[in-house]
Amino acid sequence: MNDPVSTPSVETPWCSRCESPLEPGDLRCAICGQAAPYDQQADRKNVAVKILRCNGCGAAIAYDPKLQAPSCSFCGDVVTVESVEDPMEQTDHYLPFTVTADEARAALRGWLGSRGWFRPSDLSSRAQLTQLKPLWWVAWVFDADAFVSWTADSNHGAGRSAWAPQSGQNNLQFDDILVSASRGLTAREVAAIGPGMNLATKLDRPSGAEERATIEQFDVQRSQARQHVAAAINTIAAQQVQNQFIPGTRFRKVNVAIVLQRLVTRRFSLPAYVLAYRYKNDLYRVVICGQNKRLIIGNSPKSLIKMLAVACIVIVIGLVFLAAIAAGR
Amino acid sequence: MASDIADPVTDQLEISCQSCGAKLVLDANLRSTLCPYCASPSIVTRPPSPNRPSPAFLVGFVVDHEHATDAVKRWVAGSHLFARSDFKAAVPELTRGVYLPAYLYGAVANTSYSASIGENYTETETYTTTDSKGKLVTRTRTVTKTEWRSLYGDHCCYVMDVVVSASRGVTNAALEAVEPFDLRALRRYADSFIAGWLAEEPSRSKQDCFQLAHDESVAKVGRMLEQFMPGDSHSNLQFQTNLSHEVIDLVLLPIWTYAVRYAPDRPPIQILVNGQTGRVGGKVPISATKVTLAVVAVLLIIGVILVLVMAAQR
Repeated sequence: MNDPVSTPSVETPWCSRCESPLEPGDLRCAICGQAAPYDQQADRKNVAVKILRCNGCGAAIAYDPKLQAPSCSFCGDVVTVESVEDPMEQTDHYLPFTVTADEARAALRGWLGSRGWFRPSDLSSRAQLTQLKPLWWVAWVFDADAFVSWTADSNHGAGRSAWAPQSGQNNLQFDDILVSASRGLTAREVAAIGPGMNLATKLDRPSGAEERATIEQFDVQRSQARQHVAAAINTIAAQQVQNQFIPGTRFRKVNVAIVLQRLVTRRFSLPAYVLAYRYKNDLYRVVICGQNKRLIIGNSPKSLIKMLAVACIVIVIGLVFLAAIAAGR
Repeated sequence: MASDIADPVTDQLEISCQSCGAKLVLDANLRSTLCPYCASPSIVTRPPSPNRPSPAFLVGFVVDHEHATDAVKRWVAGSHLFARSDFKAAVPELTRGVYLPAYLYGAVANTSYSASIGENYTETETYTTTDSKGKLVTRTRTVTKTEWRSLYGDHCCYVMDVVVSASRGVTNAALEAVEPFDLRALRRYADSFIAGWLAEEPSRSKQDCFQLAHDESVAKVGRMLEQFMPGDSHSNLQFQTNLSHEVIDLVLLPIWTYAVRYAPDRPPIQILVNGQTGRVGGKVPISATKVTLAVVAVLLIIGVILVLVMAAQR
């Protein structure tokens, strides 16, 4: 997951306070709220009076709340104004498939054979692959510096109560943190296959899929995307603070307040194979990372006979143990 | 800094309507007007000054006159239980739909805090009581106790979207009553948005507004800290906030203002409607008669209950 942060072009506007990049249409910085630089008109020295006129009929125009734009009440002409820019998110980069469909099939066979003792003995031989679909799923990848203030309860220094309050402030650096925007993959599946992505292989277009692939689209607008990313940063920061800085071994009520700087978010489409196989009459789903065939996650059947056998053995052992105790009294 | 705050009467501006040529007199605190003869909207752009900067942003009207009036009627009719009856029956009069000047403030807040944090624990204690036969017996019970620990620390965050009124005609408390505005719909200011509407110039000094925004930000940090404290409970929360990297921008907010005249001997009540969300706010006049009657009724009920209890004990 190493992708050198591309140096912004000279034209890219940046927030002068938190040094995060501003996107086209941003009136204010989404992170710290500072107004975006704007080429204001040169300061007026005199009072100026004007009437805005309709380009169509020359009548004076007025702002109409129903249209949320200035319009002419005579000819109905609506004046085009700078609209609120909140576009749908679009993928910036695609990662190519480096695992072929055949390798994915072989990986599934290997995975079915390694499902532990409780798997049905004939799982590998009787499972029938019914679908193998290459999928580009969507995610945000961000880098940021964060100054985190935190409080929490932990068992460190606890007295009569099992908990003692803790507080602190630390710097955290986030590099190439992946936040799923996918509707098709679950959070558990993303957590399993996400680490296999090599962001350095990014391309401008989909590549490497042998069959007709599904290309997922972002289905949120920019403002919602920022909320998703901010929520993810909060969760990740709380987790990292708990793992690295809060003294103790047990924690609760971890609160964080974050001052973000240099938040750079990129939008990626990432490769995965979604497979479905049938065992007896049931369908099961497996997801394989499109860049690392060892990263597989899915569900598989359990052998009812084996589970019952183990349960019986446990019950028998328990009964024997109880009988031994009763005999000893 | 207060020198460039114009007096609305003495600093009136005389302009010519560019449509019909009529002479119009514009109050110094207005940025736009309508010609009474030809209804043409004129927009005045004055040179910016420290206390009267050019607007940076604007939130456009979404709620029209009809919807705003309906909202006010519903609000007046369904107002407080103790509101005066003549107020509830009064017909709201539209004063105007106006773009109200306000400052949008943001800062980085560095706060040092201290508090007592309560951590609960349970103990089993022995107590003596009498059982059903009247004998003294010793029993145990589990009780929850609180261990209080001191906590000191620092908290750093961005404070964003603090809005304070820059108009002397609308107090900050009155504006807060109709907040929030959805600032995602913020637009960069353009004259075309205020065409046909009244737009006010700031009539409060930037310094006063800065102070208001500063106080509101500190209060906001205080509310954040209440949520930030660990433990099962906390007390004695004290904090000192230092605001830095402050930014303040002038924004025009859409407000419908109504006046409700409910009694000839009383001044009219100002009611505001958020021109974006339709939220209504204002101060409801309380009826002293209704309050007195309610107190008397409660006292009577208590008295009757006491009499009944005493009669039952005899």
